[in-house]
Amino acid sequence: MAWVAVALSMATTPLRAQGTSADPNLGNLKLTSGFDVTNAYLFRGIPQDDTGVIMWPYADLGITLHHGDGALGNVGVNVGMWNSLHTGLAGLDGLGKLWYESDFYTTLALGFGKGTSLGVTYTAYNSPNSGFVPVKEVSFKLAMDDSGPLGRYASKPYVIVARELEGQADAGTKEGTYLELGAAPSIGLGRVGVAVPLRLGLSLADYYEGANGDERFGFFSVAGVVTVPFSSRPTRFGSWNVHGGVEFVTLGDRNEAILGDRSKVIVSGGIGLSY
Amino acid sequence: MVSRCGIRSSVVVILAGCMAALVGTPAFAQDKDPNPGAMTLTASFDFLNQYQFRGIRQNSTGIAMWPAVDLGIATYSGKGGLKSLGVNLGTWNSLHTGDTGSDGPSGKLWYESDFYASLGFGFGGGTSFTTTYTSYTSPNGSYSTVKEIMFKLAVDDSGHFGKGAVKPYVIVARELDATQDGLTNGQADGGLNAGTYLEFGGAPGFSGKKASVSIPVKIGMSLSNYYELLGVDNKFGFFSVAGLVTVPLGGTTNFGAWNVHGGIEYQRLGTTTQAFNGGEANQAIYSFGLGFTY
Repeated sequence: MAWVAVALSMATTPLRAQGTSADPNLGNLKLTSGFDVTNAYLFRGIPQDDTGVIMWPYADLGITLHHGDGALGNVGVNVGMWNSLHTGLAGLDGLGKLWYESDFYTTLALGFGKGTSLGVTYTAYNSPNSGFVPVKEVSFKLAMDDSGPLGRYASKPYVIVARELEGQADAGTKEGTYLELGAAPSIGLGRVGVAVPLRLGLSLADYYEGANGDERFGFFSVAGVVTVPFSSRPTRFGSWNVHGGVEFVTLGDRNEAILGDRSKVIVSGGIGLSY
Repeated sequence: MVSRCGIRSSVVVILAGCMAALVGTPAFAQDKDPNPGAMTLTASFDFLNQYQFRGIRQNSTGIAMWPAVDLGIATYSGKGGLKSLGVNLGTWNSLHTGDTGSDGPSGKLWYESDFYASLGFGFGGGTSFTTTYTSYTSPNGSYSTVKEIMFKLAVDDSGHFGKGAVKPYVIVARELDATQDGLTNGQADGGLNAGTYLEFGGAPGFSGKKASVSIPVKIGMSLSNYYELLGVDNKFGFFSVAGLVTVPLGGTTNFGAWNVHGGIEYQRLGTTTQAFNGGEANQAIYSFGLGFTY
């Protein structure tokens, strides 16, 4: 999902000439959708599948509830669905059904001055092919878009704290609390956007339970993502793009034991829409 | 969304599926259109006492909830013989609290999740022809996946008859890929052979300033093996008549056009569907929900 987020954010950068008269959608609802294909799926460093082909169809509806000039600049709600379809062991070949994961989420986002934002997200992670027990989670994300003061050198740092309410990603004995520190510096090369997201996933409590108890370090990843829009301006059909990237992930001992390797290179590509 | 009007036999699908058309009538206040582009988003969330898929009972206890989202893409609009060409993609879901949901053996709420894609051609005289592929899946494992191709021929006769229009349509649907691992499954009736379904219907209605009322009528039949029972294919599946009321919540705003809707449907069931309904030949369905179009 990290790449999806990067693709979504890049799809709404000024590179895309949003807000011009050509924008077919002038209201408060924004639709973002995509379909990605990848060779491996690690959820926060926890190996899910690296066999066969993995496909990620997703859609997000963003609703701008408030936009103003005060201390609270924006209030928005997002509702969306993210899915993972597997042809390999976690899907057709192993469980007889393609649809490994279906997530529903809703987010309340508050935008403050100087590019600071706080988002609260509730996510229900479900597995239609019973590949895992459902997980329900609430997460908090504090982010800063420092593009204003730093321009192209902005790093867009963020921190996420997520708490499992029911079910567990690590299939452990206790619901866990997850911490992620990240950044997504990006540059525009003409019409092409390039992002280099960095992520560090840690367990604050019981998130990466293994044979030796709860392990603090879950994973570190760095990726390069390229997004190429179909057109320089939005069309009647919105703004479409193709995107692709390579991610290098290094894992903690617990996740390494599951994957059978300390690191993983993930390659993905897809098509995206913002309307 | 036109294609959705025929996918489900229950009253609320008509509500969910036809809401865009109702809300889009000139009778409702069209303050401003925030979205003049080629994409239209339609969504709804409905509650029902009973879910009958083309007359086939899906739950006996509890309630059903139907969240649905549809993205319509108007790919072509012209003045020739082909007036319009559109693509719809969507997901339709049924969440059950009763015996086929959270209170049942699976303990899971999510009984059904359908994905569909349709291609619709609009011709002169209000005639349209739509082909829809649907994958009916059950996240809580209550039934094996059903794949179907459906063809719908419809006529919007509002131009000729105004308020007296009946908007007739006919649907033919064929179950696909019903043999899996040497076993025959993937069928709505759980029978021995993949079926072919036929539906005739109409949806006369009236749009006022504050509300719209429609009275959809339909009859569902088996062309072959759609309503199997003990090896016998019974032709008559169900007859249905409903009364639906849609009330817009204000006009069209930057958040789209919202509405509340509710209705009552009566179904008269055939031999197979009656057997599936615990021997009861009559079924009343009550529903209400919230919908929007953007």
